[in-house]
Amino acid sequence: MTISRLPTAALSLKQFLQRQRILGIYRNMLRTIRQVPSEGDRKYLRDWARDEFKRNKSATNPDAIRMMVSQANNHLEELQKSLALARS
Amino acid sequence: MASRVLLQCVRSLGRPSLRLSAANLAVRATAAPAAARRPLSFAADSRRPRWLGQSSIPSVGVLCRQYGDLPPLTLETIKDRVMYVLKLYDKINPEKLQTSSHFMKDLGLDSLDQVEIIMAMEDEFGFEIPDAEAEKLMSPGEIVQYIADKKDVYE
Repeated sequence: MTISRLPTAALSLKQFLQRQRILGIYRNMLRTIRQVPSEGDRKYLRDWARDEFKRNKSATNPDAIRMMVSQANNHLEELQKSLALARS
Repeated sequence: MASRVLLQCVRSLGRPSLRLSAANLAVRATAAPAAARRPLSFAADSRRPRWLGQSSIPSVGVLCRQYGDLPPLTLETIKDRVMYVLKLYDKINPEKLQTSSHFMKDLGLDSLDQVEIIMAMEDEFGFEIPDAEAEKLMSPGEIVQYIADKKDVYE
């Protein structure tokens, strides 16, 4: 159940939706990272997000994938909360 | 009256020689603002025949305001900017990049890279591309078409 290497015709509906969800999380993460004030931090966070997503790109165990997705969501929420605090 | 004085100032600036403008200023200074319109209008009438032979007055250019705005977008400029951003991306080989090269099939990128590329385009052109439409853009040509559609650029 790789995220991207299989052609989309070979994915089942659930896998397709999961893939779209993960790409959405990656996009939201990049958009949130854009709001970080310092350029050095931004670059570090972008590289970190890129590495994390790419490292787990070829995971096949559905439970592991679900756990990673929820972990990514937690990271994203944490980042958004810290940014909101920093801004206020 | 003030507008007439302003126009005379502009005309004097537009003229190649400034000797007469000094005289104009002196005349205007002597004609007190509280004075009647007649002295100024007579002076303008006397000056007008002399000005008819002058070069064209760039008054419109001097009097109009400059609003801060981006240069207008054309298909060419959009394409140049898109290719420039793509060449800066480290995962793309600049020699193999064409307008019609597919990100996944020709350039060997994956969907995460495609998300990054679309984010870079959002940054470059300054407007957000929604997810549903972003995932369909798979080559530079399609990106150019989409941006042209969104920004009402057509030729």
